[in-house]
Amino acid sequence: MSAQNPSVPDNLALPAPLVVIAAQVIGAALLWGLLTAESTLVILLLLAVMAAAFAAMQIRPQIEENIVAAFRRSRRLALMVGLVLVLIWPFFLIKNTYGMHLVIVALLYSVLALALNFQLGSANIPNFATGATYGIGAYTSALLAINYGFSLWATLPAAAIVATAFGFLLGIPSMRTKDSYLALVTIAFGIVIHQMLNNLSWTGGPNGLVGIPAPSLFGHSFMSPINVFGYRLPAQANFYYLSVVLLGLAILSAKRLHESRIGLAWNAIRADELAAKSQGINVAWYKILAFAVDAFLAAFAGTVYAFYVSYISPDNFTFLVSVTIMTMVIVGGMDNTFGVIVGAFLLTLLPEKLRIFSDYRLLFVSVVVILFLILRPRGLFPQRQRSYGGH
Amino acid sequence: MDSLLVQHIINWAVMGSIYTLIAIGFSLLFGLLNVIHFSHGDVSMIAPFVALGSLQLIFGAIGGDAGLFAILIALALAIVATGLVGVGADRLVIRRFRKSPAMMALVATVALGTAIRELIRGFYPQGSNPKAFPTIADGFLSFGGGRLPLQPVVIILTTIAVVALVWFLLHKTPTGTRIRAVAEDPDTALLMSIRPDRIFAFTFFLASAVGALGALFFASHAGVVRFDFGVQLGLIGFSAAVIGGLGSMSGAVLGALAIAAVESVVQATVPDGASYRLVFAFLLVILMLCLRPSGILGKTVQEKV
Repeated sequence: MSAQNPSVPDNLALPAPLVVIAAQVIGAALLWGLLTAESTLVILLLLAVMAAAFAAMQIRPQIEENIVAAFRRSRRLALMVGLVLVLIWPFFLIKNTYGMHLVIVALLYSVLALALNFQLGSANIPNFATGATYGIGAYTSALLAINYGFSLWATLPAAAIVATAFGFLLGIPSMRTKDSYLALVTIAFGIVIHQMLNNLSWTGGPNGLVGIPAPSLFGHSFMSPINVFGYRLPAQANFYYLSVVLLGLAILSAKRLHESRIGLAWNAIRADELAAKSQGINVAWYKILAFAVDAFLAAFAGTVYAFYVSYISPDNFTFLVSVTIMTMVIVGGMDNTFGVIVGAFLLTLLPEKLRIFSDYRLLFVSVVVILFLILRPRGLFPQRQRSYGGH
Repeated sequence: MDSLLVQHIINWAVMGSIYTLIAIGFSLLFGLLNVIHFSHGDVSMIAPFVALGSLQLIFGAIGGDAGLFAILIALALAIVATGLVGVGADRLVIRRFRKSPAMMALVATVALGTAIRELIRGFYPQGSNPKAFPTIADGFLSFGGGRLPLQPVVIILTTIAVVALVWFLLHKTPTGTRIRAVAEDPDTALLMSIRPDRIFAFTFFLASAVGALGALFFASHAGVVRFDFGVQLGLIGFSAAVIGGLGSMSGAVLGALAIAAVESVVQATVPDGASYRLVFAFLLVILMLCLRPSGILGKTVQEKV
């Protein structure tokens, strides 16, 4: 098993570059199929293919090991293929603006899930308030844009600062409480924020804020389509690329934090808080930091969301939104960046694509989530052991 | 006495009773399983729907004036059915997470709650609409010149009786001793020839049935019930159990009364208080947990190395 032998197997069945390209193209094709498929049969078939892939990995962990090893070997190639796929992606969805919309929402949820992952995955801090910090970010930037004419680029840092301040505030009780008690503090915080947004007059009350102006970059308005090589990408492509950049930043910061002393400290707290404390780790500070980092990233996602839909209301940021984000992290695989993103995509797309079950789709999704938790308890892609040096 | 003040006090006692009934379930289950049964509110909310459904059936069978008897039968049916759903929830889902990290059980029960809500919405006739719920006890109680509406009296007295009964059950009967033994240490309890699985099933039944009573009172007090009422009721019940100290029954009662008190005071004094009710209730929760991290009556566990 891999636990004893984390090194790369010497004789892979297939050359690594081939495995990498095949895996990425197949993944992209599956996603594309899921987005464009109209008939239920095709959707169910695609889901069955995915389920089969996961079943195969469950039965033969070696397959997963080999793929991961291949990615480790040709990391640069993987990055390049990934970049190309991400760049040309909108060209396959020119006609399908709804599919484009779903991808943007899924990208933003991936950012949120990664933000939560800093706490839930890395440090095992339950936080049910990601939806609230997301909302604080969205409302801050919407208010600044509507009332003071701030542009998207100016509101991004402003929203991040405000949300991070709230994150610090929320982190303070974590110095004394933990587990279920801390979970309740975050739930309460989320409800207080939601209720305030719902009742205060300057946040628009239950009607929310309407008419957030479209951003522009170098004179190119985000409302207008992109014309390249004679192709005309729908206006949403602007926000697609913006969300991709945001997710890229989130992945990069997740990676850098994971590899830094901070990530190590979080993992130590997860393993044993008391032991971490006796190692001289300032547990309180790192916990608060986890809340702040979560809020910072969530605010970015909130800002982009607000400018993208140009209309926000308190109902976008309820307790159930926080729970959905948490489910994404747990279903995807805690402390595994790739897994968390897959979880975010699956849980965004599934309810939308299962409209055929119309009234029963939420029921279906919740049953699937429970089954996942029972059958693959460590998530779709379990966290990997830290490896030092070598590979 | 000022009649408005009396009204506020009655309202406080009624809401406190309802929250108590929900909070006891959270406390019981947490004390036993160390698991937060987040779908408890949704499981409890099944009861009003069962009651409505069976009332319609009974009226259909007997005709118009089935009266108090029919209502009592419908309530009893609803309580038993909800208790059984609680046992079923444990069998089907919660039991499988007994050895997993707490977060998994939590997310699983949240998903279970969604499933239950969606089942009601999808399969109860016109399930997404709010349903009018009859008052369980109509009429007034007159004494020495004044008169009191009957329903709050029934709710408060029943709650006191149920709390006393549960306390008696836990502390003065063999079954209660077994429950506390399993809560202490399931493995050792097994050695004492106690079957933990039976105890779990019984406790789930008890917690869900008590919660069902709370949900029935809630629906009757509000006069209306909707499939998603369980979310908020569950959150408040959970908060009450936590600020009182999870696992402690008197804590659950205290917590419930405290939250209901904040709600009543805010409603009475703050302008537009009805809409800020939840804000203040949950600010109290945050404040309480900052000041006393393990609740009012919770034991502070000293971690040993």
